Amino acid sequence: MTATLRKASMRVGVLVFPGTNSEDETQRACEAVGLFTDLIHWTASLQDVRRYDALILPGGFAYEDRVRAGAIAAHDHLIDAVRQAASDGKPVLGICNGAQILIETGLVPGFDDARHPQAAFAPNAPGGRFLCRHVTMKLNAPPARCIFTQSMQAGALIPAWHSNREGRLSASPAVLDRIVSGDHGVFVYADERGTCTPEAVPNGSRLGIAGMTNVAGNVLALMPHPERDAWTFMHMDAAPERARGDTNAALTPSGGIALFEGLAAALHR
Amino acid sequence: MKRPAPPIIAGKVPTFAVLGKSDEALGQDARRHGLALTVEELRRIAGGLRRDPTIVEVHAFDAQWSEHCSYKSSRAFLSRLPTEGPNVVVGPGEDAGIVHLGEWKGERYGIVVAHESHNHPSQVVPFEGAATGIGGIVRDVLCMGARVIAVADPLRFGPLDDPHCRYVAQSVVDGIAAYGNAIGVPNIGGDVYFHEGFRDNCLVNVVALGLVKERDIIHSRAPANADGWDLVLVGKATDRSGFGGASFSSLVLDEDDAEANKGAVQVPDPFLKNVLMRATYRAFDVIAEERISVGLKDLGAGGIMGCTAELVAAGGFGATIDLDRCPTSQPDLPPAVLAVGETQERLAWVVPPDFTPRLLAIYNDEYTLPEIAQGARAAVIGRVHTERAYVMRWHGEEVMRVPIDFLTAGIRYERPYELPKRTLPDLTSWLRSIEPNEKGKSPLFQHVVEPYFSSENGSDAPSLEQQLARVLAHRDVCSRRAIFERFDSVVRGSTSIAAGVGDAGVIAPLPGAPFGVALALGGNPRYGAIDPQLAGEFAVREAVENVAAAGAHPMALTDCLNFGNPQEKRQLGEFVAAVDGIARAARAIDVPFISGNVSLYNEAADGGAIPASPIVACIGVLHDLSKVCTPVLKRVGSPLYRLAIPNFGLGGSVFAEIAEMPGPLPLPTASLDAVRAEIAALLTAHARGLVLAAHDISDGGLLVALAEMAFPTQEHSAIGIELSVSPVLDAFSETGGFIVEAAEGDAFEDACVERGAVLHLRDESRRKTGADMIATTVGLQTADARRVLVERIGRTIDGPIFAIPAIEAMSLRTLYEAWSSPLRDFYGDAA
Repeated sequence: MTATLRKASMRVGVLVFPGTNSEDETQRACEAVGLFTDLIHWTASLQDVRRYDALILPGGFAYEDRVRAGAIAAHDHLIDAVRQAASDGKPVLGICNGAQILIETGLVPGFDDARHPQAAFAPNAPGGRFLCRHVTMKLNAPPARCIFTQSMQAGALIPAWHSNREGRLSASPAVLDRIVSGDHGVFVYADERGTCTPEAVPNGSRLGIAGMTNVAGNVLALMPHPERDAWTFMHMDAAPERARGDTNAALTPSGGIALFEGLAAALHR
Repeated sequence: MKRPAPPIIAGKVPTFAVLGKSDEALGQDARRHGLALTVEELRRIAGGLRRDPTIVEVHAFDAQWSEHCSYKSSRAFLSRLPTEGPNVVVGPGEDAGIVHLGEWKGERYGIVVAHESHNHPSQVVPFEGAATGIGGIVRDVLCMGARVIAVADPLRFGPLDDPHCRYVAQSVVDGIAAYGNAIGVPNIGGDVYFHEGFRDNCLVNVVALGLVKERDIIHSRAPANADGWDLVLVGKATDRSGFGGASFSSLVLDEDDAEANKGAVQVPDPFLKNVLMRATYRAFDVIAEERISVGLKDLGAGGIMGCTAELVAAGGFGATIDLDRCPTSQPDLPPAVLAVGETQERLAWVVPPDFTPRLLAIYNDEYTLPEIAQGARAAVIGRVHTERAYVMRWHGEEVMRVPIDFLTAGIRYERPYELPKRTLPDLTSWLRSIEPNEKGKSPLFQHVVEPYFSSENGSDAPSLEQQLARVLAHRDVCSRRAIFERFDSVVRGSTSIAAGVGDAGVIAPLPGAPFGVALALGGNPRYGAIDPQLAGEFAVREAVENVAAAGAHPMALTDCLNFGNPQEKRQLGEFVAAVDGIARAARAIDVPFISGNVSLYNEAADGGAIPASPIVACIGVLHDLSKVCTPVLKRVGSPLYRLAIPNFGLGGSVFAEIAEMPGPLPLPTASLDAVRAEIAALLTAHARGLVLAAHDISDGGLLVALAEMAFPTQEHSAIGIELSVSPVLDAFSETGGFIVEAAEGDAFEDACVERGAVLHLRDESRRKTGADMIATTVGLQTADARRVLVERIGRTIDGPIFAIPAIEAMSLRTLYEAWSSPLRDFYGDAA
């Protein structure tokens, strides 16, 4: 009960741009871990957005992904509030299209307080096609490196769905060196047992990176969708056999919900 | 009698002269204007109006009296389908049907289902055609007041060795992906077949599901008290797109508009649709909260005219539309284009005038439609009235005034037809005609029996592993993963079984509630080419069995009937036979049809019809999502069962094609009552938690179904299969029925026997020769073809092995490679 009351004071804002399509499930995942969550429409004022303790940019095709994925949304007026939240140390999470927007703003990897893209989520290789595939993300940095992972075990595995056309991290050798040396690649693709193999990387992403954080560790750009595999019924075949035929177990959050538990833990730290 | 419309004095809009013209001249004029109306129909219009129609009116009738809108050739037969049942909330007749889902927190919920085709556009412009197919079906579901929660696509393509078929097959998938992924509706299934008969005419069908509170259903009609209410057009600004090519060019020639010199296709805009859907959901919430009565309909065939005329006619009203108030993105559109052009991404509301400003504000201000796409907005374009006339005004004058029932009632034809003749042999006599001592001569022996003995007797017949690998690699059997991975099957965060993982796609439609909704399809063109009626029965059976395999109760069916030219007696006969087939099966299995669609004039370049293609979707409900089931084997050491009606006809099978078996071959028919019992048996076992994995026996047959259950969906899973019987005739016959991995063998057998299945024990001990093996299956077949048999056929083992008695164990990895590579190579890494 105390925990609920304490959580109740924390509010998460989920930004909705024209073309966003994953706002509802993102909101549900936040609420499942006890966070009050509002959808923030593109017509909202900056003032509205500043009230939140954490911001999430969900998946979709903001502004039709014109020019390239995330490029237009990165110049939306609400991004000023996102930058503010990031520099205030609030948790900022971008999932899929949200991650593409964050990399376009320069907030990740965010070397030297850049306001321009230093890396890109390029079209998937091979083929440059949309690919919807179940994947496993492995925590590849010390848990303390990123605000979302502080409460996780080292090497934690989080199931998720890769569901994008442009998810392949791409950057110059110099930037990739800094990504490695600064432990920015918080999540990498792995097989279900946690082994990182080339086959486990669905899109040719450099360094096998699935999720990348900023210098301070409070902004996370995550290409796969953990919120799409966040309840047991979404992975019944992988669930313990006792969950079969147990209605409550099927409707219990599990799997990808770990990422949102990480957010809740960060907010209540 | 209907009141005659007053004559219109032709001003800016010319009339289309009918009266006093010869049949020949009239036919020429109709063709010049690109009209599909016949001379007789044109005379009927002029007769009804008692004057020549205006050019706007003639195009309005052309759309409204088309096969697409009026089902003029097919409606007489569609009444044969069962459409009633205790769970039917809205049956056929509106934009979509609705079946009851269940109660949750004191509210009754329904699942909205619509099923459409977009065949012809997809053949001509595959990317846009397939994309607008999704766009249209989504609006059909939306306008019932529903959240759109899933789509699925049955696709039929020509052979991939044909360059144009390759282009169509690639671009259709690209179009579905581009549109469906962007609007944020998961694509949870579908099926794909390749057949010579679709070389010149692909089929792109689409099914969409929605979720609605039953008390918040919005109907496609003006409410009872709608006199004086506003007609509000919402969405994309009207442009030249979607006005039939031929008619457009003849029209503009008449109007001396040199610039617009060609017809245009419908142009999809998923980005606008995404916002339009969300804004409409917002309007639904306001309407439900304040109990405002409204009507809503999507704009499809016939554009503004077709939609608004049907909306108000269904409520017993007429309407006057002011075309000058219709938002456009191009100047100087001719009134006929404004009236019937099929610009995409539009809806029309009937709302009380005191609600109109708020509705406009939701779209135009809150969801900023005008900033999303050029000219997009919500605007009042007309008014409902009790005078039962449909009137359109343009530039200050009436360009259309017709009795509304005359326009919307359409026309009916009772066309002559000739039912297809059945030439297929009876299975039993066919089986007896195969003399066991003809080993080496009979193709059946050569292909089915010899593989078992090839290592012993030095025969050069292919091994069973080679045979199975060939069947697994067949275009209709091999893995569809490369296609399904192009579609977002998990957006909305509700997917339990994603496309391609199970026999049916399964979603949890209502967050927090234990309900699951399963959606699956059936419609095998190999049967359609042989026997349309049986193809109809099989289509229903396959869709229902797929849903049952997933653990869901079949609740409702929809159909899309894709056929040839109804003016050809034989082609219409195929349609009639197929309708009979689906009707018979649906009645026997006791699942009603709640919506559907007919697509005619699907023809090859030489004028022949496509294979009869009754495509059926089944919607199933799981009241407890924790009982959802996939075909993936779960444990080592569990018993494997076949639950099926013995019938080992190889007609229409993939194997018969690969083995080039001489025809005609008997089809694997079954008593439909037995099918019902077989499905009931499986559902009983599901309810008792006795089913670990289940898979239907369809394309490729028994061994294919078993291998597919052992193929890993992820990189884990190395459970193999050890059969205790040697399938022979039944190895590759596509019997229907199920393979089940049971949790407890005895309890599973009991559950099946309780529902009327017969436990079958095969005596394998004395079998020595191929002749014995044939005799065993002939005996099995002729025992009682009306009975459901449940037979323990093997068990699951550790390791990627597929073992069958007396022959070398097959490698599941080898078989998997054969199964997974063909379409991966085409859709995956191909340019």
